[in-house]
Amino acid sequence: MSMKISTSDFKERVDKGIHDSFMRGAVVGAQERMGTRRLDATNELGNWEEWRKHGEEIRKHVLEHLDYYLKELSDNVSKRGGHVFFAQTAEQANEYIRGVIKEKNAKKVVKAKSMVTEEIHLNQCLEEAGCEVIETDLGEYILQVDDHDPPSHIVVPALHKNKEQIRDVFTEKLNYQKTEKPEELAWHARDMLRQEYLTADVGITGCNFAVAETGSISLVTNEGNADLVTSLPKTQITVMGMERLVPTFEEMEVLVSLLTRSAVGQKLTSYITVLTGPSEELDVDGPEDFHLVIVDNGRSSILGGEFQSILQCIRCAACINVCPVYRHVGGHSYGSIYSGPIGAVLSPLLGGYDDYKELPYASTLCGACTEVCPVKIPLHELLHKHRQTIVEKEGKAPISEKLAMKAFGLGAASPSLYNLGSKFAPTAMLPFTSGDKISKGVGPLKAWTEIREFPAPNKERFRDWFKNRDKGGDQS
Amino acid sequence: MKVTLFATCLVDMFQSNVGKATVELLEHLGCEIDFPTAQVCCGQPSYNSGYVNESKEAMKTMINTFSHADYIVSPSGSCVTMFHEYEHIFKDDPIWGPKAKDLASKSYELTQFIVDVLKIEDVGARFKGKVTYHTSCHMTRLLGVKKAPMILLSNVKDLEFTELPGKEQCCGFGGTFSVKMAQISEQMVDEKVAHVEETGADYLIGADAGCLMNIGGRIERNLKPIKVLHIAEVLNSR
Amino acid sequence: MTGSIQNRDEFLTQIATSLGRDSWMKNAPVRNWQHQPQHLVLKDATVDELVDVLRLQCEKIHTTLVETNSKELEKTLKETVANHGGGPIVSWKDERFSKWGLSPLINEIWPNEGISFHEWDYTKEMENISFAEKANVGITISEITLAESGTVVLLSDKDKGRTVSFLPATLIVLVPKSTLVPRMTQAAQKLRSIHEQGNLVASCVNFITGPSNSADIELNLVVGVHGPVKASYILIDDL
Repeated sequence: MSMKISTSDFKERVDKGIHDSFMRGAVVGAQERMGTRRLDATNELGNWEEWRKHGEEIRKHVLEHLDYYLKELSDNVSKRGGHVFFAQTAEQANEYIRGVIKEKNAKKVVKAKSMVTEEIHLNQCLEEAGCEVIETDLGEYILQVDDHDPPSHIVVPALHKNKEQIRDVFTEKLNYQKTEKPEELAWHARDMLRQEYLTADVGITGCNFAVAETGSISLVTNEGNADLVTSLPKTQITVMGMERLVPTFEEMEVLVSLLTRSAVGQKLTSYITVLTGPSEELDVDGPEDFHLVIVDNGRSSILGGEFQSILQCIRCAACINVCPVYRHVGGHSYGSIYSGPIGAVLSPLLGGYDDYKELPYASTLCGACTEVCPVKIPLHELLHKHRQTIVEKEGKAPISEKLAMKAFGLGAASPSLYNLGSKFAPTAMLPFTSGDKISKGVGPLKAWTEIREFPAPNKERFRDWFKNRDKGGDQS
Repeated sequence: MKVTLFATCLVDMFQSNVGKATVELLEHLGCEIDFPTAQVCCGQPSYNSGYVNESKEAMKTMINTFSHADYIVSPSGSCVTMFHEYEHIFKDDPIWGPKAKDLASKSYELTQFIVDVLKIEDVGARFKGKVTYHTSCHMTRLLGVKKAPMILLSNVKDLEFTELPGKEQCCGFGGTFSVKMAQISEQMVDEKVAHVEETGADYLIGADAGCLMNIGGRIERNLKPIKVLHIAEVLNSR
Repeated sequence: MTGSIQNRDEFLTQIATSLGRDSWMKNAPVRNWQHQPQHLVLKDATVDELVDVLRLQCEKIHTTLVETNSKELEKTLKETVANHGGGPIVSWKDERFSKWGLSPLINEIWPNEGISFHEWDYTKEMENISFAEKANVGITISEITLAESGTVVLLSDKDKGRTVSFLPATLIVLVPKSTLVPRMTQAAQKLRSIHEQGNLVASCVNFITGPSNSADIELNLVVGVHGPVKASYILIDDL
């Protein structure tokens, strides 16, 4: 599927991630800083749990009435003169957008960061049609200049790169001649991009939350790039995942607050922009034409099923910022534009188990993600549901594991079998035991003992001690 | 007060000291211990791997084994969390659903039981040494037991406590994760061990056999001079 | 302006099917929220308390807050512009500028000092943008001001270009004290009531909180990426 960012397999990707020491340092640093900021921003409210519950009820309500609110949204967008296109597939969305570009005879497109356009591979489609596509979010811009390196984080896409790497990329590709200071790098990008905004024919954005009652869309940024993308080019195309809407401004406000605090620990980001239709007749800036493309691309098959709650997601990345697995393997290991816990749940749903069957297992089910999710998605439970689906419905688990689990199930279920098994464990393990530990295990224990010691089974099990003690035996 | 002990399979087979300490501690606090020998494993390893149906027989055995109990107490937060999970697993089952709910309502993690049910905050323990404490994920996040172990440790005489950096971060055990995703697990447990070392503590304490086996196994492999103890062993020292 | 809708029936029918409905829902669902924490924030704060909150927040968002009254405004604005390096200046066209006694500054003082000033004029079309692009300072007015986050709310109009707040290096926003509310909640209610009264909500509503910034390079904060590098709010005591 199109959200795929790598052709190598999961093990290779993880191995690469684990050995990328800069990336790992960057991720650990980012998790610490973003984690602290998020905690401060959520604690200061004093009743964060209430906010989460409200966020959850809004998102649930919208999903349960999604048909109604999408109809309301589209009616209101068109009332204000906008054009709405409902795209069931990525191909339909791309085809429509390419059509608009052709009709406008557009040569240059500026884009504000959007995960859904990454998901449908819009850039590639437009470039194939001969259009120049320029990402304007600083992080996305860096990745684009670096031969389309994929994003590794949904909020900070170039998190895996250090400033020296960015300097080298700029020097090689943009004839940059200054240092690796972030200010200088950012200001160079500012200068380069200014000209692009002023000369672009079309601006493309994602959508944080659409507002059904007024037909508005909202964009949340810190850089202000989305504002230039939507005020200078004469045509604006906004692409949204079909679930990204709210009933009214009042719910939008709550979700924006949850998003900015959870994502970056800010009360609000520098720019939150609410756009309704194209600009007014006498307005000088703002688009003359506004198109809203609403994308399904697999979402409707999640709706109504046991994974529906994943559609509550507001893309804040709080789950990524606390995930102990992401911390060590980084975003690219997930092989999808959606990484971390949200990616491990969403990627198999949108992209299929063939490509993403390992992701639900890349978790200790520690629940850190669930604890921070601002809209209370039970992420670790959904990861577990995936495992169950893989075993029971997809039949994709290895046969040896199936047999082992069956045997385990039988052994664990029967007190007599358990008793027998545990009683003879010390004898069975004897060949591998030295002193009180096992250093070289076989079978499933092999992977364990490659890293750690495994305790040898006690010669006297607890239950034997307890029984002997009841009989008045050794009480020490 | 009669307490029915859910020892857990790890304690039964590999860490009988923890079981002994739990029994002695609860008896010291005035409880009478009952140990139903029909108890097996709670089914968590296979359940968490996605083998829900294969795990149900073990769960039913456990529900039956403990149906007579007034209070079920276990020295493992994760296994108690699993007992609570039964309620959700069997929620649509007219026969096992109510039984699972009953089981969950009377199941406690050891420190939780001492603080919340026995209402004891000082067990009269004395333990000499510099210690740090790892908060296990299932116990803190899913079972919601955060304060009880801290309260009890804070009242242990002679104990020098030092906070573990990143204490809420998973140690990388995660049941079958530790072998299925061994390479990632290794990175996680290494970071945990490094944090323990940073504290300069002589003892790492925890309340979950699985996590302790993981962290302890790594400490032992790398020959670090840190001893790993279950909280029951500390609370039972006098 | 007429819009259009394409491919809707099929799309919504698919959603209705997933949700277990025969056809898509026609009646407005009832919203009955059980949790409403947003109304509690700064609930009983007085205007002065809101100003205190705003002042503190401005420090966190790299924004200078200058407090003044309508009498002193001319002087304050002149100084603030000078502090940011002077002109060229681009501003909205708004009758409040003359009401607040700024006409002499705009029409005489600045021109005499050689500071070029451009007032947004929709009849001049793209000339506005060319000017804004070269301007050092953009001046706009906040319609609603959020104390909690230090946010100004700007509503676009033919006389109020969107880019005035984005293209110049410095953004100066005039903030009447009467526009202060606790947080975004009240702004959302106001915008909603505009719609409910049958009026059109501005095609662009900007919630602006300080200057443009980015942390995309190693999470280092860089102030001034695409939009303004500096921001000042001038709080006018109009109560």
